[in-house]
Amino acid sequence: MLCVTALKAAYGKIEALHGISFHVERGEIVTLIGANGAGKSTTLKALMRLTPPESPTVTGGDIAFEGKSILGMEGHNVVDKLKMTLVPEGRHIFGNLTVMENLTLAAWTRRRESPRKDIEHIFELFPRLAERARQRSNTLSGGEQQMLAVGRALMTKCSVLLLDEPSMGLAPLIMYDMFRTLKQLNSEGLTIVVVEQNAKLALQVADRGYVLDTGEIVAGGYSAELLQHLEIKAAYLGG
Amino acid sequence: MEQFLQQCVNALQWGSFYALIALGYTLVYGVLRLINFAHGDIFMVGAYISFFLSTTLLAPDGWFDFSRELTLTLTIPLVVLLTSFVGVALERIAYRPLRRKGAHRLYVVITALMCGLVLENGNLALLGASRRTLPQLMDKEVYMIGSIAVTNLKLWVILTAFLVFFILHFVVTRTRIGMAMRAVSWDRFALPLMGIPLDSVIVFTFVLGSGIAGLGGMLFAMSYPVLEPYMGAMTGWKAFIAAVVGGIGDIRGAFVGGFLLAFVEIMVAAFLPSTFRDLFAFSILLLILWIKPTGFFGMPQTTKI
Repeated sequence: MLCVTALKAAYGKIEALHGISFHVERGEIVTLIGANGAGKSTTLKALMRLTPPESPTVTGGDIAFEGKSILGMEGHNVVDKLKMTLVPEGRHIFGNLTVMENLTLAAWTRRRESPRKDIEHIFELFPRLAERARQRSNTLSGGEQQMLAVGRALMTKCSVLLLDEPSMGLAPLIMYDMFRTLKQLNSEGLTIVVVEQNAKLALQVADRGYVLDTGEIVAGGYSAELLQHLEIKAAYLGG
Repeated sequence: MEQFLQQCVNALQWGSFYALIALGYTLVYGVLRLINFAHGDIFMVGAYISFFLSTTLLAPDGWFDFSRELTLTLTIPLVVLLTSFVGVALERIAYRPLRRKGAHRLYVVITALMCGLVLENGNLALLGASRRTLPQLMDKEVYMIGSIAVTNLKLWVILTAFLVFFILHFVVTRTRIGMAMRAVSWDRFALPLMGIPLDSVIVFTFVLGSGIAGLGGMLFAMSYPVLEPYMGAMTGWKAFIAAVVGGIGDIRGAFVGGFLLAFVEIMVAAFLPSTFRDLFAFSILLLILWIKPTGFFGMPQTTKI
């Protein structure tokens, strides 16, 4: 469904992706793993068609969504038309708005409908957010902010969700909770692409994975294989 | 006492002009963190547009030959509309390309300053240095409240300023586009991820700010009907200072700041030699900023590094 071929992307003159290819099928959880600076976030920003300077320019290759190139699309249209969105690294919630306002704003593309029902659904998924509904969202804890970031993304009624380092800065228990929720959302039909530094955790929930290293894909396959591969590597190299 | 109350009425009128301009400064700053130094000149453009529209519509040998009432009712919405186009054009031509290239904020501010100069001097080159006089669009009536004299125009100016403020406040705090405007000011990156076109939100902000400045320019020209190309420069600077003292980025601040500045100015001019006006007014504002550097409604900003 999502097919990336020989994708090259650069920030200004510095190339960050040197021609990567991978694909994601509907209903899958796919993870991109790799060290800092491997190009994981760059890949997600390129998929979302976000604009420079924060995001890269695609300099070669193609991104196709259901067979059609999306390189000419703008970021907001990717959300509106393709129903794909991103939970960015560092969450980027609107800290000066309340929890409720953050969620309401995310229903932008469905302006005519009242977002109340969808918000209730998010509150069922993350009851902690319901308690904090009227609070300014920069007063939330890190875990709650991550819940809000995911909840806000779901408010767009996306069918493909990209997540950039959702475990970052979270306590282990909250982190497992978050991945359990993602698994549940996936079983309800959501396609997920998750970027993680915590490779083990990511491979435990993902169907398939790709390993990125300095802008290139160096390995790919089913999670179980990759996990075994990683464990062997860790055993020999003491990782 | 009588004189004081009479001066209060005058201060309310002047404050209305400052407030109407300051609102535009604060709106654009709130959304883009950009001090739009061309904004004072947008105010001037608004005054000129109202001049050309009203003379065209009134001209007895022209196509229209409208009555004054009809001219006034047509000119107001048209001035707002056309001035907002000028603001949007500035954003398109000058600010957006820089934003796309990720230019540092300093360069955008300098661009704004230059745009203001282009508007002033463009006007001078096109129309010459001769002053224009706006035709009278409203019969002057003087109401006496006790011993205080108020003209109908003054009342309209003050009323309009308050009305604009309340509508704007409602838009920013209660509507979804207002939410989006506040969201941009916090985190521009995440907005497209919600399916919200960033450029539309920015354009909307410029429409609001410039439209309000245009309305202010027209009301100003009706009150003091002499127009010249540099009329927006000093008034614009003062309104900008008013917005900062109120707490730039907050529309309540711009509103209160505008009236505060006018109040100080008028009172100094009324009870002290009028040459002291700006000296005293700005010393007082300096003192306020010294005590509260973020302005009345401003919050200390933490910049992410």
